Parts: sequence; C-alpha cells; structure tokens
Amino acid sequence: MRSPMAEFLDYTQFVLAPQVLNGLSLGVAVILMALGLTIIFGLLDVINMAHGEFYAIGAFLALALGALGLNFWILLALVPLLMVPLGWLTERALIQRVFHSRERHILTLLLTFGFGMILEDVLKLVFGANTQKPPMPITGGTEILGVFLPNYRLFLILFGAALILAVWVAVFRTRLGAMVRAAAYDKDMASSLGVPVRAVYSGTFAFGVALAGLSGVLLAPIYSVFPTMGRDFILMAFTVVIVGGMGSIQGAVVAGILLTQVQAISSLYISPVWTDPLVFGIMVMVLMVRPQGLFGRLGNA
Amino acid sequence: MLIDRAPAPTLPRARDAVHAIAVLFFTAALALGALGWWAGDSFYLRLATEALIFAGLAMSVDILLGYTGLLSLGQALWFGVGAYTSAVILRDVAASFWLAMGATLVVTTLAGTVGGLIANRVKGVYFALITFGLAQVVAKVVYNTRELGASDGLIGVPEITIPLGFATVDAANPAGFFLLVLALVALLYAGLAYLMDAPFGRTLIAIRANEKRVPFLGFNPLVHRMLAYVLAANVAALAGALYPMLRGFVSPELLFFQTSGNAVITVIVGGVGTLIGPVVGSVLLTALRSVVGTWTEHHLIVIGVLFMLSVVVMPKGLVGAVRPWLQRRLSGSESPR
Amino acid sequence: MTRMTTAAVTAALLLTASTAALAAEPIRVGVVTPLSGTYTPIGQQVRWGLELAAKEINAAGGVAGRPLELMFEDEEANPAVAVQKAEKLFQVGKVDFLTGTVNSGSTLAVGQVAERNDRLIATTVSFADSITADKCSPNVFRVNARAGQQSAALAEWLSKEKPKSKVFYLGPDYEMGRSTVAAFKKAATDKGSAEVGEVFAPLDNKDYSQYFGQLRASRPAVLYTSVAGNDTVRLLSQMEEYGLLKNLLVVGASGTVTSQNIGAIGKAAEGFVTGVGYSPEIDTPANKAFVKAFTAAYGKDPDLYGADSYGLLYFYKAAVEKAGATDTASVRKAMEGIQWATPQGTKTMRAGDHQAVQDMYAVRVTGGKFTIVGSVPGEAAIGPDACTKF
Repeated sequence: MRSPMAEFLDYTQFVLAPQVLNGLSLGVAVILMALGLTIIFGLLDVINMAHGEFYAIGAFLALALGALGLNFWILLALVPLLMVPLGWLTERALIQRVFHSRERHILTLLLTFGFGMILEDVLKLVFGANTQKPPMPITGGTEILGVFLPNYRLFLILFGAALILAVWVAVFRTRLGAMVRAAAYDKDMASSLGVPVRAVYSGTFAFGVALAGLSGVLLAPIYSVFPTMGRDFILMAFTVVIVGGMGSIQGAVVAGILLTQVQAISSLYISPVWTDPLVFGIMVMVLMVRPQGLFGRLGNA
Repeated sequence: MLIDRAPAPTLPRARDAVHAIAVLFFTAALALGALGWWAGDSFYLRLATEALIFAGLAMSVDILLGYTGLLSLGQALWFGVGAYTSAVILRDVAASFWLAMGATLVVTTLAGTVGGLIANRVKGVYFALITFGLAQVVAKVVYNTRELGASDGLIGVPEITIPLGFATVDAANPAGFFLLVLALVALLYAGLAYLMDAPFGRTLIAIRANEKRVPFLGFNPLVHRMLAYVLAANVAALAGALYPMLRGFVSPELLFFQTSGNAVITVIVGGVGTLIGPVVGSVLLTALRSVVGTWTEHHLIVIGVLFMLSVVVMPKGLVGAVRPWLQRRLSGSESPR
Repeated sequence: MTRMTTAAVTAALLLTASTAALAAEPIRVGVVTPLSGTYTPIGQQVRWGLELAAKEINAAGGVAGRPLELMFEDEEANPAVAVQKAEKLFQVGKVDFLTGTVNSGSTLAVGQVAERNDRLIATTVSFADSITADKCSPNVFRVNARAGQQSAALAEWLSKEKPKSKVFYLGPDYEMGRSTVAAFKKAATDKGSAEVGEVFAPLDNKDYSQYFGQLRASRPAVLYTSVAGNDTVRLLSQMEEYGLLKNLLVVGASGTVTSQNIGAIGKAAEGFVTGVGYSPEIDTPANKAFVKAFTAAYGKDPDLYGADSYGLLYFYKAAVEKAGATDTASVRKAMEGIQWATPQGTKTMRAGDHQAVQDMYAVRVTGGKFTIVGSVPGEAAIGPDACTKF
C-alpha cells in the first residue's frame, strides 16, 4: 500500500499534468481555427460557415504539394499564400453580393454554409474519400518536469503562440491594422479618411482564410487528412469564438484555452462522451448571460 | 434583402396570390395522390408523405425566420422531440395516434417554453447560434442515452390505425396516410396563415421591422417572441410525431444539424415568409434528392449550388418568383383595367 | 450514372454472350450503402466487392441462368435516408434482395423495412451482436463475423502470447463500439486476463492524447481498441507520437486497421493484432485468385468488407439455386443452414439466428502487411444462439 502523498504525486504526474499539457496543444489548434473566424466576424460581421472547409483545403494542399517533394517548412509559408487569392475571390464573388443587405449576418451565414457543402464534396471528388496522412515533420519527444510531450506538439504550442501574438500585433500595432479597425468601427468615416474599405474587407477575409489554411498545414500531421475533416474543429471553434466574444482576438485565446481545459480535465471524471454537451452547454449559458462574450469585439477594442 | 424583400404580408393582394399558390398546391397534391392510389403505388406516396412531414419542420423555421426575423439553426431539436415522444408512446405506452399527438403537444409546450426562455434572451445572429447550441446539446444527450436507443435509435414502432370519427386510417396504407398527413399540413397552413394575418402575426412583423417601437403600440415584444417560438416548436414537433408512424423508427440523426440545415435550405429555396413556400420547397427538394441521389453520390454539390443560387438570385424563393406573375393574373381577372 | 449502368452494361454484354441468359429476366440486388460522408471508404469496399462478384457470376452464366443486376443507393450514413432508399429499391427497383448497410442503426432500421415489405436483407459489415441476437429478425442475415466471433481468435491468441495480461479498453461510443468491447472483455476475461481501465471516446474524436494519461496510469500490458477508419489513423499515430507503442501490445476488433487505412497509419500500425474473419493473406487458392482479381480491378487490396460483400453474392446465388426460386419464403428456407464457398473458406449460415459461422483469425501487421498468427475454427468462435424471435 503506497502512501496517499505518493499516490497524489503519481496521479499528478501521470494523469493530471499530461492532461493539462495535451489539452493545451488541442487548445492551440482550436485557437488557430477560431482566430480566422473571429477576425472575419469582427470586421465583416460575417459568420463564415465554410471555415472548416478552408482548413481542409489547406491540409489537402499541404498533402498534395508535399507529395511533389516540397518540404513542410516551405509549405508552412506557401499554402497560406495560395489561400489568399481563394479567400479574396470568395469575398468578392459571394460575400459582396449580399454584403449591403440589412440581413447581412443571416445571408452570409447561409451563403457560406452552402459554399462549405460544395467545397467538401469537391475535395472528395478530387482527392478521394480515404484518409491520408502527411509525415510528421518533427519526431521524438521531450520530458518537461517529468511529463512527456512529443516535439511536434511542443513546436505547435510555441509556433501557435507566436502566430497569435503576430496576428495581435498586426491588428493592433500596425498602420494596416489601424485601417482594418477603423473600417470595422465605422466604415463611412474610415472611407472618408481615405481607407480603401472594399480592399480592406477582401483582404481581411483572405487573411482569415489563409489562417484557416495555415491551421490545415500545421494540424494535418496530427489529425490526418480526409474530405469531411472540416467538420471536426468547426463546432468547437464557433463555441470558442462565441464564448470569447465574436470578433475578439484575446477572447478567442482565453476561451480556447479555457474550454479545451474544461474538456480535458472533465474527461478524467466523467465519460468523455459527455464533454461535448458540457462545452455546448457552456456556450448556451454564455450566450444567455453575456451574449457579447467574455471580451468586446474588434472594432471597439 | 431576403427578409426585407420577403413578402409584404400586409398587402391583401399579395396574400391572395400566396393563398392561390397554396390552393393550387394542395389540389395538385390531392390529384397526384389519387393518381398514385389508382396506380397502386406505395413508394412515391410514402416519399411524398415524408416530404410533407419535413414540410412541417420547414414551416416552423419559416414562422421564426419569415415573420419574426429570427434564424433558427436548431429547429430539428423540436422535430426530434416530437419524433421521440411519439415513438416512445406508440411503442411502450399505447399505439394511439391521439395520445401520441397529445403527449407531443404537452411535452413540446413545456420544453419549448424553457427553450424559448433561453433562446429569446438574444436576437439576430446570436439567436441562430444559441438555437444551434441547444440542438447540439440535446442531440448529444439522445445519442448517449441507452434508454432512448443511443446511436442505434429506436425500431419497432408499431403500424397504427388512426380513428378519425368518420373514418379510420391505417398508417400502413400509403394512400390513406398520405391523405391524412396532407390534410394535417393543409390545416397547419390554413391555421398559421390565419394567425399570421391576425393581429398576432402583424405584431410579429412589427417586431421584425422595429422591435423598439412595438411597446409603444401596447404590445410586449418578448411575450410575442415567446409565443412565436413555442408555436414554431409545436409545429415542428407535430410534424416530427408523424415521422415514426410513417417509418416505424427514430434515430438521433433526426436531431442533427444536417436536419436543421436541410429545413433552412428548404425554406430559402421555397420562399421565406410565405408558409406555402416551405411546403413547396420540401416536396421539390425531396424529389430532387431522390433522383440526384441515385444518379450520383455528389449530391451535396447539386443541392449546395441550388441553395446558393436561391440566396443570391432568387431571394424570395420559388414562391416569390412566381407570385408577381400570379398577382397580375389575379388582379387582372378581378378588376380589368 | 456510371455506377448504375456498369452492372447493367455487364448484364447486357452477358445477354449477347450467353444464350442461356438471353431470355432470362435479371435478378436485382439492391445496395444501400454510404457513398458519401464519414463511412465512404467502407461503402467503397462494399461496392467493389459486390461489383466484382456480380461480374464473375454473370460471366459464368448468372444465378440459375439469370444475370445479376446491382442497384446502388447512397444512404449518407443516416438511417433515415437508408430506410427511404431501401423502400425505393424494394418498391420501385423491385429488387429481390438487399444489402450494403454499414452502421448498426441503419441495418436494424432497414431490417424492419424488409420485414414490412416481406423481403430479405443481409449485412456484410455491421458488427453489433444485437443484430443476430436480441434484435434479430427473420428477414435479416449476417454473412460477416459479429463482435463475439471476432473476439474468439484474438482472445485465444492473447492468452497464449501474453497469458494473464492487464488490458485497457478504448472503444468508440456507439453501438458497434460498445458491442465489440463487451465481447472481447468477456472472451479475454474468461481466458484469464484482467481489465485495468476502460474509456469510450466520441465518434470522430480528434485527439486521443487526452486519454493517454489514464492509459499510462493504469499501466496496462495490452490495449484493446475498436475505433475504426479515420479514428484508428488518429489513435495509432498519436500513440506513436507519444511513444506509447513501445511497451504496449495493441490489439483490436476487425475494421480497426484495414487495407484502406493502413497506408495512412504507416509505421504506427506495426505489430497491431486484430481478430478478423478475413485477411488478404489467407493462403488458399480461392483467396489468392480473389485478391488478384480485386487488385487488378480496383488497384487496392480487399479488406474484410470487400471480401464479405464479395462472398455475399455467392451466398445468395447458392440459396436461390438451392431453392429454385427467388421468393422470400423459399430463399429464406434455403439460406438457413446453407454452406457456401467464400475467399476465406466455407461459411455456414446458422438457422437459429441467421449468423454466419466461419473460421476466425488473429492477424498481425508485420512490415506493413497482414500476417496470420492464429486461428479458431468456426464452431468454437460462434457462441450460443441468443435469438428468440424465430
């Protein structure tokens, strides 16, 4: 019989700590997805239901280009660049069509919902239905305070954190970011001050789409690639965006970490199948009590 | 745009045109039903019955979207509540149509009030998200509950006979059950159309146009939104209650987002704010799916393109597209100018 | 379009080739299977297996002189769609027989449609024991091995390889998953192993690393899993990522690792042992010929779904030819107790519960290939007849 203290330490080291760390890597993945969503919503008031499919396109692009011999580090830069024109076109051809309607929210939601359906089927048509997996770009693992973490997850956490910071700096500390925020706050005012509002809209949408594509490249080695993969993160990402506050970058980060930790830790004590209802329940509760989410939105930040 | 340009239900002439479409639709359905019965068909009658059942769900989406301006992305929740209530009653309590429908109304009114109190705390896009979240939670709970059959669903719902007083309908008889469901949907349509033309409906439309002004007219907007929500929930649930009578089983997929999403697609393609549009849309889309699904497994592309075209090019849906023409014909015949 | 007509064209070619079949009305077999959505890879194997068998049977003169015609419908992995498509095939397509359903919810619901239309169906995929046990139906047959059978060979092999080992169970939370875990737990515990933990993860789970803590803490020697398709790819590659595969033997139900997903799993599949009713490595002339024909036609190895679907048409052919008719009552009577040849050997359809009896194998992945490491004769694997409905 071991002492209760030893048992507690054992539990902390083998169960609790790895759970928290693994939850963190999932959290970063979810935040990466939520980031693009929340930026697009913050500026354009558009709920992009096709975001998951853009993530899948990024992953498939990485897979296809990787098969041609391009290495992971090149893809990490190339795929988001390839996603930009796709996002730009989508904004011009679809979003702008209904953008000036009073019911912009609902119409763009419906349009992107339809577009997502089509994209998923096109991916299946082009790449087939079977699961594929790109090779792991970094192998091996590291012990941190006695907890084992694969090196790639460690990289993902650090790279993700840097990326989130870079996005934050770009939005809040650059001239370009100031134009975007100005357009989000008051588009007429921004326009009269010489901000090219239309280009800012298209550019922001394309930026959000590129972020989704980048998540696809980053997450493909862990979560593998198949046409319906876009459905995986999208619910969780929406939940994170809603809880954090639609349009808020800080909100997405805080809510992303909070919710994935709730999921990770609760799955130790309740059957994991109940963690989804739990998280959605939290989302509904946040919407009831504080519909604007934990943080305010982009234009007002 | 979709909503702005949605029917001006206050114009009596526009209403007349919509009613004319409804009369035309139900007459055509009756004629086709008779044809099917005469030909001894079973599959197409039952498929049409299913289309009408899902039309009920689409109408319920339309009550919220077309009249109150609220998009529900989780209306399948109420369809599922009706379907499961009815299935459990018919299977385990008594094979009685009226008991199943009565229990559905009671359960949905109670649960719908709770759901409405939650959902109506927010408006606009947040309403879409909260209804979506609610449906997700309930769908997952059903999926994980062994007493409700969990992921397998419940099979073995008996084929019931339905006493109507003047006649008895056998749910296993394709033509008979088709007629019954057609009559129920026609009644629902008539009742809802009447209600939406009455002060209640006008208040909803006023809320949609400008909620802040409604209190000055002496109405409480929240009460009206609650009533609209519970009404819509009951319409969806009554339609859902018919499902296990037709197919003999229920499964958690009935509550999934796919079902809610299909209902929204149906309303948009058929015509928002017309009540008959969703019914027409449901029949057309069911027929289309049945044909396209056999032809290719890439039916998502076909439905997706059609849906996006409706949103962009035909924002008033099919019914909205033919209405102006019909309106001219109607006014032409009534008062030649 | 192409799918629907391939069979028809085959049939048409045959009509010109064989005079016996010239006058004969084709026998129609309906296939309701997922061709879109998560289960698409399984539906694809089902389709390939059936198409290959139909082609061969038709080339050899058909069933009782009549050509087979396959009619496919996509069930979208949704029972509500499956029942509608099944009715369409029964009533409009006038199919004589129906197969293809994958998830147990669809199989059960379509079985009920078959009862009400007085037709027969067979599943070639669903594992859940209940289909041929407490939820059995006189109109439903199963030609593939159910969860209980799959466990027999695996538990037997495990008791020899690692006697009295500590086993951790990780299953997907739907009926197929729960059924396989329960069946193996029973078989393994009877043979002396001990359960040290159990987790059910949601279907389409993204990240299994959140269960690795529990897994490590319970210090098992063996992990049993019954997740399938994409989920296995994620589970095994994430376990490899975390270095969990080193001191742990991973075993699983049929369908966890198949020729469809082994490529995506890669090295992480090495050493994985599964209890199955079929493996491309079964060393018989019949199987070698089948694998060769299958690979030549579709460029992929058959997996258990492809093989069992292929075998199904020979089952149907045998039954119709024995009955000398295609009506439900005669064919049902002929099917009960019939023996027929399949790539994996002779199968027997048990009359009492409509469950096929067949030899079961334990198969290990070695060097990216499946190798047979153990087997149990059919009678020992089948377990008692628990069906009381007919």
